[in-house]
Amino acid sequence: MQREDIALMKEQNVRGDVSLEYMATEYALEAESLCKVYRSRWRGREIAAVSNLTLCVPEGVKFGLLGPNGAGKTTFVKMLLSAVIPTSGAAKIFGRDASLAEARRPVGYLPENHRFPTYLSGAGMLDFYGALSGLGRSERNARIPELLKLVGLEGWGDVRIKKYSKGMLQRLGLAQALIHRPRLLILDEPTDGVDPVGRREIRDILNGLTGTGVTVFINSHLLAEVESFCDYVAILHHGTLALQGRISALVMGSGYAITASGLTDAVSVALQERALAAQRNGGGSLEIRVPTLEAANDAIDVIRGGGGLIESVRSESSSLEDVFIKATRQERAA
Amino acid sequence: MTNTVGVSNGRVLVALIADTFQEARARWLFWGLFALSTLLILLFLFVLKIDLVEGAVSLFGVESTTRMVDIHRFVITSYSWVSVVLYIWGTFLAIFASSGLIPSVLEPGRIALLLSKPVTRPMLLMGRYIGNVLIVGANHAYLICTIWLVIGVKTGIWEGRFLLSIAASLFIFSVLLCVVVFVGVVSESAALSVMVSVAIMLISTILGQRQLVVRLLSSEWSRQLWQALYWVVPKVYDLAAALRQLIVYDREADWFTPVWTSAIFGVAVLSAALYIFKRRDF
Repeated sequence: MQREDIALMKEQNVRGDVSLEYMATEYALEAESLCKVYRSRWRGREIAAVSNLTLCVPEGVKFGLLGPNGAGKTTFVKMLLSAVIPTSGAAKIFGRDASLAEARRPVGYLPENHRFPTYLSGAGMLDFYGALSGLGRSERNARIPELLKLVGLEGWGDVRIKKYSKGMLQRLGLAQALIHRPRLLILDEPTDGVDPVGRREIRDILNGLTGTGVTVFINSHLLAEVESFCDYVAILHHGTLALQGRISALVMGSGYAITASGLTDAVSVALQERALAAQRNGGGSLEIRVPTLEAANDAIDVIRGGGGLIESVRSESSSLEDVFIKATRQERAA
Repeated sequence: MTNTVGVSNGRVLVALIADTFQEARARWLFWGLFALSTLLILLFLFVLKIDLVEGAVSLFGVESTTRMVDIHRFVITSYSWVSVVLYIWGTFLAIFASSGLIPSVLEPGRIALLLSKPVTRPMLLMGRYIGNVLIVGANHAYLICTIWLVIGVKTGIWEGRFLLSIAASLFIFSVLLCVVVFVGVVSESAALSVMVSVAIMLISTILGQRQLVVRLLSSEWSRQLWQALYWVVPKVYDLAAALRQLIVYDREADWFTPVWTSAIFGVAVLSAALYIFKRRDF
């Protein structure tokens, strides 16, 4: 979300216009004019993976980052975690410069296409990454069995990782990301290559974090997954921010459908002129689609003024897929 | 706060070193290095028989000579032989075994996760480096100390200067490991790391013959180039010569110059590796 949007939300919250859910005392993530330009070594050709990206993720929300392949999602995430050094711009994690190692202490991360050390057992791997996250031995010893149980890998702790299936590896990766009780969880394609049962298990674990105050940032190209889990979404396309907002707001507001009957020809023509689409139904009723609330009220006035009967008025919602395709097409057209 | 960060850094370093040990344990090459050391120890333990009363030495049960052998001289020759084997072949094998430990950390799905932890990049690389030096140091100490004990028990001769070969071999390995780290960070290729490190070992040996070569070179600039190269590269040959002087002849040799020039080379190469690693995208 843009800073201005958040500031507006805070102001609205003070007025009681929006729910407290919007209110964030702090941003979990802030990216300001972040750019990454890759230069080919020999030809000197430049490719902008991410261009001037400004984005804020309020603390405690479930945020989805969407985009087609090559949109710059993983580069953006890696810049937040300092695995990729930005060409320009700045990133902050809970208000601290993301390039500082200490800033990454409250972050749990599950990378895409991870390669966990296969010479370690599941418990050994959690122990290693727990130590790197700053946990002491006693904390690790207490936490590891808890997490193995949480991700359904009880009894697998002493087994070498190379014996694990893809789904088990993903769940172990999630346990690794949670070992130090992070305030921010960044998951890069968390269900990639996982079967439907495994996906469900991962989603259940993530749903278990609801209400704990943990900010979850999911980078995915699976729209249904993001739509079902996240509150907010940002869509990246060609390295730029194509769209962002609350998912419920984005999928709503695609217009209204009004069904009316007993219409004279003049009223029908007047309605068709105002509508995005009109369709005659059986029984002589007419269904029209209008884009806005104002247009819907205007159409209702025309129907009522012409002596027609309103059979139904409903708000039309679109799927996140529709929003995604529209956003990426608009971006392409622009 | 500073103390907390210090404790945390210490914990992280220990974890990185322990991880290097675990990865080495899972690699056949390190087991091969350990097995060769054990084989050498077994040679001294069971195959070599020394008769102190008669002064005879037998190998595989066959007396090598009919005349009396100077046991002290035999011990010193053994020390010299083992030291040279460890210094040259041990270092070469250790480089070969260690070469994969740096590129493995730089694998895309692994380095991204490591970098997401509250650990600085230099710490990540130094943890690997130190872990690697400690593994090879443990192997060298195991080999030399055990042979020293075996020979000491069999002959009653305890020459402490033989133990210096652990330090000398480990030192030259540490310097060459800096090259392995540098090439590993730049190219992510284990094979290239070995090639460059072994090339430096060979070049250093050739450059070490400077007294002779400088006399043979006709032009002044080529003599100066040879001298400059000699000072830049680590002194693998000079250190070996100094070690042999000490072990065989118990003579003080010039340790200081080869050690500090090699150390400067190692520090410079490792610093360059850290600088590149700090600025790289993963």
